[in-house]
Amino acid sequence: MIELIGVSKSYNLEGAKSPKALDNINIHIGKGEFVSIVGQSGAGKSTLIKLLICEERPSTGKILIANRNIVQLKPSELPYFRRKVGVVFQDFKLLPQKTVYENVAFALEVCEAYPEEIHDKVPRILDLVGMLKCKDKLPGEISGGERQRVSIARALVHSPKILIADEPTGNLDPINAWEIIELLERINKRGTIVILATHNKAIVDRLKRRVILLKGGKIVSDQMKGGYVI
Amino acid sequence: MNWIPIKRITKLGLTNFWRNRWLSLASTLVMTLTLLIISTFVVMTLVINKTTDRIKSKMDITVYFKDTATTEEIANLQQQLASRADVSEVKYISKEEALGIWQEQQKNQRIKELVSSTENPLPRSLAIKSTNPSELNNINDYLSTDDFSLIIHKISYEENKAIIDKLLAITSFVKKIGWLFSSLFIIVSVLVILNTIRLAIFTRKDEIEIMRLVGASDKFIKVPFVVEGSLYGVIASVLALVLMVIGIYVVIAPLVTQYLGAGVTENLKSFFTSHIFYIILIQFLVGIVIGIGCSMFSIRKYLKV
Repeated sequence: MIELIGVSKSYNLEGAKSPKALDNINIHIGKGEFVSIVGQSGAGKSTLIKLLICEERPSTGKILIANRNIVQLKPSELPYFRRKVGVVFQDFKLLPQKTVYENVAFALEVCEAYPEEIHDKVPRILDLVGMLKCKDKLPGEISGGERQRVSIARALVHSPKILIADEPTGNLDPINAWEIIELLERINKRGTIVILATHNKAIVDRLKRRVILLKGGKIVSDQMKGGYVI
Repeated sequence: MNWIPIKRITKLGLTNFWRNRWLSLASTLVMTLTLLIISTFVVMTLVINKTTDRIKSKMDITVYFKDTATTEEIANLQQQLASRADVSEVKYISKEEALGIWQEQQKNQRIKELVSSTENPLPRSLAIKSTNPSELNNINDYLSTDDFSLIIHKISYEENKAIIDKLLAITSFVKKIGWLFSSLFIIVSVLVILNTIRLAIFTRKDEIEIMRLVGASDKFIKVPFVVEGSLYGVIASVLALVLMVIGIYVVIAPLVTQYLGAGVTENLKSFFTSHIFYIILIQFLVGIVIGIGCSMFSIRKYLKV
């Protein structure tokens, strides 16, 4: 489903070539997998995530998603690609002046969804993440864990095949963090590929799913039922 | 046709406008001022042009004859002129007719009595109308030749020409000043609007980022700003029109009536109403073009999608 072949990325800052942020990465992720990408800050996790959501383009190599090389996507095709890949961030990225419901609905509104579709989908997704009861609250009125649930709901609203979570638990206490991970697992059980970038050892150890360890832009280990090893 | 995106994009644009209402107000007012200045100069140029045209069309050449010229010579000249292609009418005015016209024009009784039928210094004349006012010059040249200098006392064309030239000079002066002020204000409003849209883009940074992440198409991200920009133009042109109507009917009209008479006021009002669509069109077009142009420029410069 997702295949990275010989992917390298170096950022050219003012002409000077910096060391590679990612160096010859080869990963294959199949249907229904739950993959944790771990590593210290600066190991290349964020760059990898950015490549997967087409925020950045690799310097060399191919990224195939559903047999399509996303490196060659035209700017006009990007929005349609992004609707198939849900993304969740550490800082939630919710609009503070919109309610929970409106935040999720907004993702559908700007993608030309019909009102009936919005009325139908948003409550169902909010129910899935356990946030239906808070649908009329503003992001400022709910806890961090709840905000992340809303952000996950928004990422899922286009029914993506892939959900990418970049440090989704970074701002949360362990209990809330674990609840979010459980939610991700539930979503994964429904058939969505989940890619989780984190440096939370406890979470990775408890998950017992595939772990890819990055160090200095290279894959150090790739274990099917791994723990967090540095 | 799917109206949903159009509705939502318009709504986003309106929200932008409202969220930045103070800046929007500044942009709109500067634009209003610009449109007012442009239309004021357009109206002024139109009025002067119209006056010039009217004077031009009324303009004729009157040839005044010396008392020594014989009736035969005058009749000869009249025939020659009438046969010219560029002359539409040649009218002979005898001494008696000239007296009649004089007495009609003079209101002061004492001046009237200066000239009587027994003591009439008024010359005989030929009033020449041309098919085209611009041909008057040729007729004037023809009459100014030495052949006629013996019988012709004076040709009126030169005097009228001076007035017309003066009017034309005023027109071109007003036009130049108009261009200067208009371009100055256009530059100011362009700068203000560019900045407003730029700020709108910055204040909505998070929203734009989220829109991008959830896969909003380009038009959903960009067009609201164009809507916002064109809104400045539309509101400004409406405001400018309202101010102009108030200005003409409430401020200028009473002044004109007081100093130039009610007739001139009526002329001014009827001129304004008969040209109102032209004025609206200019204001609207200039406003929209500036608004949309500025927002497109800002989007290109500051909005990386």
